[in-house]
Amino acid sequence: MTENPARESRLLRGVHRTVTGLHPALESVVAGIVGLLIGALLMYIWGFDPWKAYWALLRGAFGGSYEWASSLARGTPLVLTALTFSICVRAGMFNIGAEGQMMMGAMAAVCVALFAAPTGLHLVIGLVFAAVIGALWSVVPALLKVYRGVSEVISTIMFNWIGRWLALYLAIYVIVDPMRAEKTLTVPASARFPILVRGTDLSASVFLAVGVALVMYFLLWHTTMGYEVRAAGLNPTAARYGGIRNKRTMIVSFLLGGITSGLAGATIAMGLPPSYAIFGGGGFPELTNIGFDGMAVAMVGRNHPIGILLAAIFFGGLNAGGRVMQFYGSNPVPLEMIRVVMGAIVLAMAIPELIRLFPAVKKQGERLFAALRRRRETRSKEGEA
Amino acid sequence: MNENAGPGARRDADGYFLRAEAITKIYSDGTVALKEATLEIHPREIIGLLGENGAGKTTLTKILSGLLPPSHGRVVSPRGPVRFANPREALDFGIGMVHQHFALVGTFTATENVALSHERPFSRIRLAKTRERLEALMEESGLRVPLDVPVEKLAVGEQQRVEILKVLSRDVQLLILDEPTSVLTPLEVDELFALLHKLKEKGTSVILITHKLKEVKSITDRIVVLRHGEIVGDVRTAAATTERLAQLMVGKALEGEPTAVELSADQLPQTLAARRKKASSSEGILHVADLVARGNTGEIAVNGVTFDVHGGEIFGIAGVEGNGQSELVECLTGLRVPVSGVATIRGTNILGKDPRQIYRLGVAHVPEDRWRLGLVLPFTLAENAILGVHRWEEFQGPFGILRRGKVNQHVRKLMDRFDIQATGPNAPAKSLSGGNQQKLIVGRELAKDPAIIVASQPTRGLDIGAAKYIRDLLIEMRDNGRAILLVSADLDEVLALADQLAIMYEGRFMTLCRPDSLNREQIGMLMGGVACKEVA
Amino acid sequence: MSWMDIVSLLRIALHAMVPITLTAVGEIVGETAGLFNIGLEGILLISAFAGALGAEIGGPWVGFLIGMGVGAMIGLIFAVMATYWKGTQMVIGIGINLFAMGLVAFGLIQLGAPGFHSVPRDVQLAKWRTPMGAMSPMIVAALVAPFIIHWFIRRTRAGLVLKAAGETPEAADVAGINVNMTRLLAATFGGAMAGIAGAYMSIAWIGSVTKDLSAGRGFIALATVVFSGLNPLLALLGGFIFGFFQGLAEWVKTLPSKPIPFQFVSMLPYIVTLLVVSGAIGRVRFPKALGEPYKRE
Repeated sequence: MTENPARESRLLRGVHRTVTGLHPALESVVAGIVGLLIGALLMYIWGFDPWKAYWALLRGAFGGSYEWASSLARGTPLVLTALTFSICVRAGMFNIGAEGQMMMGAMAAVCVALFAAPTGLHLVIGLVFAAVIGALWSVVPALLKVYRGVSEVISTIMFNWIGRWLALYLAIYVIVDPMRAEKTLTVPASARFPILVRGTDLSASVFLAVGVALVMYFLLWHTTMGYEVRAAGLNPTAARYGGIRNKRTMIVSFLLGGITSGLAGATIAMGLPPSYAIFGGGGFPELTNIGFDGMAVAMVGRNHPIGILLAAIFFGGLNAGGRVMQFYGSNPVPLEMIRVVMGAIVLAMAIPELIRLFPAVKKQGERLFAALRRRRETRSKEGEA
Repeated sequence: MNENAGPGARRDADGYFLRAEAITKIYSDGTVALKEATLEIHPREIIGLLGENGAGKTTLTKILSGLLPPSHGRVVSPRGPVRFANPREALDFGIGMVHQHFALVGTFTATENVALSHERPFSRIRLAKTRERLEALMEESGLRVPLDVPVEKLAVGEQQRVEILKVLSRDVQLLILDEPTSVLTPLEVDELFALLHKLKEKGTSVILITHKLKEVKSITDRIVVLRHGEIVGDVRTAAATTERLAQLMVGKALEGEPTAVELSADQLPQTLAARRKKASSSEGILHVADLVARGNTGEIAVNGVTFDVHGGEIFGIAGVEGNGQSELVECLTGLRVPVSGVATIRGTNILGKDPRQIYRLGVAHVPEDRWRLGLVLPFTLAENAILGVHRWEEFQGPFGILRRGKVNQHVRKLMDRFDIQATGPNAPAKSLSGGNQQKLIVGRELAKDPAIIVASQPTRGLDIGAAKYIRDLLIEMRDNGRAILLVSADLDEVLALADQLAIMYEGRFMTLCRPDSLNREQIGMLMGGVACKEVA
Repeated sequence: MSWMDIVSLLRIALHAMVPITLTAVGEIVGETAGLFNIGLEGILLISAFAGALGAEIGGPWVGFLIGMGVGAMIGLIFAVMATYWKGTQMVIGIGINLFAMGLVAFGLIQLGAPGFHSVPRDVQLAKWRTPMGAMSPMIVAALVAPFIIHWFIRRTRAGLVLKAAGETPEAADVAGINVNMTRLLAATFGGAMAGIAGAYMSIAWIGSVTKDLSAGRGFIALATVVFSGLNPLLALLGGFIFGFFQGLAEWVKTLPSKPIPFQFVSMLPYIVTLLVVSGAIGRVRFPKALGEPYKRE
């Protein structure tokens, strides 16, 4: 008379578990949708056609292999700066310094132009140097926090600005291209990331980003040090009681964060055609905001490396698609609307448990589950009888 | 304080100032804190509210002072029912409460703290005027406090005086004090009581919450005893004896019979006699001598404690919470540095060391606040199970890898052994019931193969089944030769489990003896601070 | 340095001081009550834009009004999300910044010239002719506001209430104070001040709106707040110091032979702030409940 009761129950349990277990991811999706809706609203107010615009956006982001390549390229540095924020959040701290650490990393990477080395090794040296510089730039605020109690929010913001000015100085006076003063030295071919898809920006740096994300996942969830970092971030008292030294976890997390942002800077300096250099004259147009956008990616990615990878693809897609959207149709929507959408998404993320704000929906859902379960029970009883 | 003005006028008609009628309070987690409590408060009287932890004293007064709403019942004045939406309204009516944890802004001076509860929002605070009024008040009441120092820099006794002044400055007709003397020196206690007398003469009523029998006899006109949320006694002080009060406080005692243990039969692991195993020539594991320690507010919390715990023995510390038990445990588990004294595990000092070192010496700890100290709630069961032992050899792989496989094996063993109900090692700790969480912690600590287990309020918040399980576990561990230090505010539990009993009061042990050498009355009196030899 | 140079430097410094001091003073009120608004940057940007539009409609004062209103509204949204909705303040602020950056850049394109819009001379707030050159009257506002706010916090009960809400919200609650409402009003005020500062930039000082007009001034204001230890008078000093170094950097740029690259001069205010915050210079103490949403037990 009915389908197999056992199968029905498994399905029900599966759905129930998915909805409650995926809860954090669901929040991100909801926030994404809310952000896009707000963007659509604004577009509409200003007299644009949101659906045409979003269609163009979608096609420009994921419409073909060329578009995919663009999206991934845009998302690559975001993965790395997002990791900075997220690793430190897991340790219970706010590291806002990705912007500065990234810029210093970029400068460090450019320094490979100062000497020659075999292809490949040249690249690696640059990466290592960038990682070290980024880590240094990040660890000082951590030390200030641990030993002087200085709020890491303030100190990382200060270091962002100090780093930016220092990087500008270096870019204009020290590692400047002698023939074109508005840019730094060009990174030589032996130290560049090979381009993966001809005609796009997508370089092998994407493998670096994915690799680093996976390494960070592994470090945080599968090593003892990572365990201690997460415990200290979630409950410092219990962690201390379990023998974990919170000072150490704070410093380690900031070191790791600095490394990833430093690498982010390197991926741009050594991976961005056609110039493979940084333009100090314009105030670092190719670098600016990668740090802050990374924070948005981190939040949407729920501060988990896998989530970050997915969110970075999304945000990269927004950026790449936006570039197409701004030329599409008779009344195209400018690229800057993308940033508005990103902001709206982050704002939507700021409210904990956005879904709970719609208690009616949740209650209905729960009532439905309860009713379905009761039906299943009575049916199985009938089946046995 | 003019009797004819304001709230004073409300109380002459029927001879009472306020009456609580059948107040019931059920918290959102289901705990019944108060059951149909009815209390009449008259002018010019000092009422002592007596009871153990969890009896409902604080809940009742919080309802009277507007901090909490009752679930059922109401509060009535001669003019009709009254309802307070917040403490401010209660203050306006004439009821003020001085809490155990002061509601003072640390960086403000006394004057500023008082000004906060006064005046209209945008007025220019005439601090000078407030100060004048305070000075006058200080004269009248005899309370002296430096008025221009940030309150956080004052001694605890002074802070309390600021709190009292704050309330008095509002011309209250009813002053409620929650365990005020726990942070005072004897001299300050005398001063406080002198003040209360003065207030009484002026027409104010006072409710004094306390668990201290001598105090309550010395200052009050009337004593109301609460037990498990019900009012079990309402007597005139002159007519009450400490024995009777102690009885009421801790439970029915059979006349003259020793050891009326309140646990019902199905909660006792085995018969009493069978459980009392001889602590055979076991070694001394924990040795404590003259331990003195300060509490968080700077006053002395542990005031010279000396005892030994041997293997194969449960040493139980009973007593109303707040008498130094938490601080004592913290000293022994690496969370607090004492002022002076000795504490060793098998001869090695443990004072001043950090938790990891102490664990290595063989100490395991089941903390009283499992959510704050014992568990990382967002972690999984497995991750919590290895907290503190995560650096064990068997869990380590190359490059610092944590061997999940080995961890899960270990966790499954724990789950089997301790019957921890959960969907699996990866269930979030949050999803476990309190009982299962506690079993997890106990199991984790036992896995450390400790010489001594320090269990602090181990069955707090657990349902009957889980509590029984934990108690059985403690007995089993004892029988296996481990030493157990049990600290519990649940008197029945301590009496049922302990081989050696200490009752802690104001930082000292009132007694150190076998539990069956005292009757219930005597225990009640000791918990209330009345020394053994004063018993008739 | 010639006398003219010094006067010029001073003039630049005073002008540069205005947005920073006004924003900082507003944020001081907010942080005193316990809310940490990292979104000041975004508010500056949006209100600069909105203020410019308002000025073009109805003159400079309308511009300021609109700018202040927009700032207050964003401050209000921030406050509601942070208090009643228990959102994470950091995340809300970052969201505001992103949103604002996009919205302003977008709006500029709508107005015609991407990235730049100049405000017509006649709707700008006229500068006064002084012996020191053309000075904006808003400088007076920036000089006076800190004193008013300082008096307000220290001498009215409202100031006490603010401090209580930020330091020990439990005590404030017991005293009958609505902590969330207090914080709401404080942050809205902070937003309004940043709104005025933003409008100042577009209609009283720089005279145009660009998509990075705020140039990090929101963060500089945050640094100034830290430097000031929540004392508005010190925020005035801090604003002046930042403005001074900005002017100095500008001046160094104009020198034919550069003794110090101007970038190092620009770095100085941040380094100084770091030193202050690390306790090398002075001791700052922040409200204990800063950044935490308040829940009554």
